[in-house]
Amino acid sequence: MTVLLDVRGLRVVFSGFVALDGLDLTVEEGELRFLIGPNGAGKTTLIDVVTGLTRPVAGSVRFGGTELVGRREHRIVRLGVGRTFQTATVFEELTVLENLDLAASFRLSLPSLLRKRRGVSDEVASALETAELTALADRPAGVLSHGQRQWLEIGMLLVQRPRLLLLDEPVAGMSKDERERTGELLQRIAATHTVVVVEHDMEFLRRYARKVTVMHQGRVLREGSVAEVQDDPEVREVYLGRSAVRGAAAEEVS
Amino acid sequence: MSSRIALALCVLLLAVAPFTLSPFRLGLLAKYLCFAIVAVGIALAWGQGGMLVLGQGVFFGLGGYAMGMYLKLSEAGSAGLPDFMVWSGVEELPALWKPFANPVFALAAVVLVPGLVAFLLGLLVFRQRVRGAYFAILSQALAAAFVILLVGRQGITGGTNGLTNFSRFFQLDLTDPNGQRAVYAIAAVVLGLVYLVARLVIRGRFGRLLVAVRDGEDRVRFLGYDPAVVKTVTFTMSAVMAGLAGALFVPIVGIISPALLGIVPSLELLVGVAVGGRFVLAGAIGGAILVNYAKTAFSEDFAEGWLYLQGGLFVLVLVFAPKGLAGLVTGARERLAARVRKERVA
Repeated sequence: MTVLLDVRGLRVVFSGFVALDGLDLTVEEGELRFLIGPNGAGKTTLIDVVTGLTRPVAGSVRFGGTELVGRREHRIVRLGVGRTFQTATVFEELTVLENLDLAASFRLSLPSLLRKRRGVSDEVASALETAELTALADRPAGVLSHGQRQWLEIGMLLVQRPRLLLLDEPVAGMSKDERERTGELLQRIAATHTVVVVEHDMEFLRRYARKVTVMHQGRVLREGSVAEVQDDPEVREVYLGRSAVRGAAAEEVS
Repeated sequence: MSSRIALALCVLLLAVAPFTLSPFRLGLLAKYLCFAIVAVGIALAWGQGGMLVLGQGVFFGLGGYAMGMYLKLSEAGSAGLPDFMVWSGVEELPALWKPFANPVFALAAVVLVPGLVAFLLGLLVFRQRVRGAYFAILSQALAAAFVILLVGRQGITGGTNGLTNFSRFFQLDLTDPNGQRAVYAIAAVVLGLVYLVARLVIRGRFGRLLVAVRDGEDRVRFLGYDPAVVKTVTFTMSAVMAGLAGALFVPIVGIISPALLGIVPSLELLVGVAVGGRFVLAGAIGGAILVNYAKTAFSEDFAEGWLYLQGGLFVLVLVFAPKGLAGLVTGARERLAARVRKERVA
């Protein structure tokens, strides 16, 4: 297996608060990796650094051998790293189709961008189908539900054909049914892509995760299969213990 | 369909105007058309791209001065010096002026100088992610600085008087009604062309991208686009349009001076677009013509009141019709369509 993402000694400090504290992480080509950890563990910060949104004070992020630290966001996307956000952000005034088309057109030159869109490319059509949004293609994205927005965002990611997908809490705030459909979508995507998922939802994790990385206070605490991680006493203490209580409470409420 | 009829009607009105309006009124209409050309650029930059351009007077002025310099030189006396230079004791033509004796150079400068200034400024500013109110203030400060520069270098620019006293525009005699009609026709055609270009830009993928940049600049970066490039290109287009308008303004009104380019005139350009509706090109054009017509009409009777009226109008529009008159029209049309649909169901 070849290493696709290689993070070494990453350190990020926000006005005194150490968000990442010498983090090391390796993701291999074709992997589906789940990143978990309590709030403030640095999961989203890690994604922010990889995608150029946050600059580290030290460390390196190599993607297929290329250093990403110091590159601007759109350059990193052009190298093949795509991401979604915790709160899905789509362009509400554009239609669903236009959102996807715009995402798919990012390699076009300026003169060809000035031209009008003609028809729908196969890629965009299949992304519409994957995201189950074909019926809503010509509606403004502003009318979409929370779950549909997440799927649209994932669809926008897929048409860009990234080599690495970073999904930040894709099922947060979703209904049970939506979660299940997202899980299926995730499995389909992971069959052909390298995917890193940040997720809080333990049930979702148990169902769909293969390899899990547990983060705590800006470092990697443990790495392994779901079962291995779940049985680890240290992990239970910092994360699963508290989360299991919270999860049980949430289930009782629902 | 109804918008096509409206468009045809506007073209018809503009076409019959030279034969029905007095030369004085036609001159005024031609002036409004110049402002409408600027308005198209503002609608592109502000309405579509979210860049609040408060200093379009700068680009209007660059185009205007480029044209004015050529016209002055083409009418210069035996010494080859424009009249105001003779009066202020300048003995040799300044180096800056020399190339403007060539009409091709001057015409190219009308487009290229505003375009280049906007392009360089845009790259500098948008790359540093200066946006929103900061960009607006910066563009306004630029207008103020430009006026100070023009007034300060009187020997080269004609100072506060600007460039004036033009009697010819290439082969056209500007004192003759036929010459004035021809200049009006040129302004109308340029407006039409600028409108078509802006419409193509808006309807293409680039237009969608521009709206995306307006609504979520940071998100656009993560689609692999550089918003700075998108904004710079659009800002440059709007500046070129303002430059063209300034160049046409010179033969139509017969003067270009700092008083026409500062903060207040730049804001007035914006008010027309806001009133008409910045999200719709036709709204911006109509608003620019309407507000400037109102300015003339009111100024004839009570000049002092106009500024207050204009300010009040601007506030009213921002509060009650943020999408301008065009927004009111589309809103009414949608309500009507909804009612028709409801009646059909019932």
